[in-house]
Amino acid sequence: MTKKNTVNYSTQHKEYLRKVKNKKWLISSLQIGLLIAIIGFWELFAQIGVIDSFFMSSPSRMINTIIELASSGELFTHIWTTLYEAILGFVIATALGLIIAIALWWSETLRRVLDPYIVVLNALPKIALGPLIIIWFGSGTKAIVVMAILILIIVTILSMLSAFMSCDKDKILLMQSMGANKWQLFTKLVFPNALGELVSILKINVGLTWVGTIMGEYLVSKAGLGYLIVYGGTVFNLDLVMASTLILCILATAMYFGVVALEKYVRKNET
Amino acid sequence: MENILKFDNVSLIYHSLNSETLAIKSLNFEIKKGEFVAIVGPSGCGKTTILSLISGILKPSSGKITINSDNKCGYMFQKDHLFNWRTIFKNITLGLELQKKRTDENIAYIKDLSNKYGIADFLNRYPNQLSGGMKQRVALIRTLALKPDILLLDEPFSALDFQTRLDVCDDVWKIIKSEQKTAILVTHDIHEAISMADRIIILSKRPAVVKKIVEIDLDKNLTPFQRREQENFLKYFDIIWKELAYDEEKHS
Repeated sequence: MTKKNTVNYSTQHKEYLRKVKNKKWLISSLQIGLLIAIIGFWELFAQIGVIDSFFMSSPSRMINTIIELASSGELFTHIWTTLYEAILGFVIATALGLIIAIALWWSETLRRVLDPYIVVLNALPKIALGPLIIIWFGSGTKAIVVMAILILIIVTILSMLSAFMSCDKDKILLMQSMGANKWQLFTKLVFPNALGELVSILKINVGLTWVGTIMGEYLVSKAGLGYLIVYGGTVFNLDLVMASTLILCILATAMYFGVVALEKYVRKNET
Repeated sequence: MENILKFDNVSLIYHSLNSETLAIKSLNFEIKKGEFVAIVGPSGCGKTTILSLISGILKPSSGKITINSDNKCGYMFQKDHLFNWRTIFKNITLGLELQKKRTDENIAYIKDLSNKYGIADFLNRYPNQLSGGMKQRVALIRTLALKPDILLLDEPFSALDFQTRLDVCDDVWKIIKSEQKTAILVTHDIHEAISMADRIIILSKRPAVVKKIVEIDLDKNLTPFQRREQENFLKYFDIIWKELAYDEEKHS
């Protein structure tokens, strides 16, 4: 990124840049090396029988399983099902959480009335609502998305509200002295002021939406990665469990980086 | 000259569940149009409360505040409070935007101010690209953009380092004088008060009452920095300092 300017730098600065670059290379190669070592030793120990690949599976067996599932086309149905549920849960919970947080910021009365309810709902382990969800929403995508939303929404409301409330009192006074009404106060000060924090909340939500989705699939599902994991577990097909977990890792990471990219975009506009 | 602001037996009580606090008690003073008045007093004596009363954000518990002006008051705070996500231009036009007064005429007025006070080159920059002193100048112009008749300055320099403070103090004073605004400065810095103001109102500890009003008879054409070098400067410092120190003694 500094290719063009390198010519103008002093030798000391070039030396410094070289050191920084070397360090970066070292870290990257160690990271990749570690991954290769884990896979390599796993495979090696499975082959020579140090670990039982029936219980622990092995990289080659996982890949075979993935290829099998992919060739039957089944894999993509499962991936799509889970991805769809996760994204839907994420989007609905975030949007709903945002709206509720705005309402709570708006009205102190509402905030105080609902406070104990939110505290109780926040403390409740949402998985306990599983049976109710199945009865109310059936045993399909709907129930799973509702599970994801339940897990996400209270945290979303609480953290967004605290981001809104943390606005500098003097800045609010300034806006009021210039004649701002409440809506202007929100759109021109409180919201843009909280934007950085809101994106951090999205980052947390992206992780949680997978928790909710997989938990939902454990409870009720006919398809999806969570379903594959539970199914694989029941029939003692550990290759299937491990392969599904691996795909899940990749999907969740990809979605996380999507939000990180969004964050970078927002922060760039913020400066 | 005519009065622009008059406090008539104004009192203010702060209420909380466990107590009520009399913040200011039967306050009487008046301020003339175009005057620069400083209010000094021990910390926590309700100086900022007085500014909130003038701007109408707080209502007096009893007494009457008369303002002879159509335009609202403009606030200037300790921190510049510029919004980092807006350019300097968008920061300055914030007030116009809020009041839906983004007319060509008003924009032209802002451009004019920006040219006059040397921020025209920065209009498309963001606040974090500017120095602290420059940001405070932008904050003043943001306030002036709404053409207020009374400027309320709430310790506007205390967040700056000493060198910058002297510069910005001169800066702000010149702008206020050349725009012929009435200004009320709240500060705990006696030097700052003497160097800028035409008149200084000394308040007592809480509940605040007017202890003494000191007319500053220094050459009105001198800048705050030049005033600091005047012979009489220290004499005024003595008078005010003793007044405040006596207050401390009596209460401790």
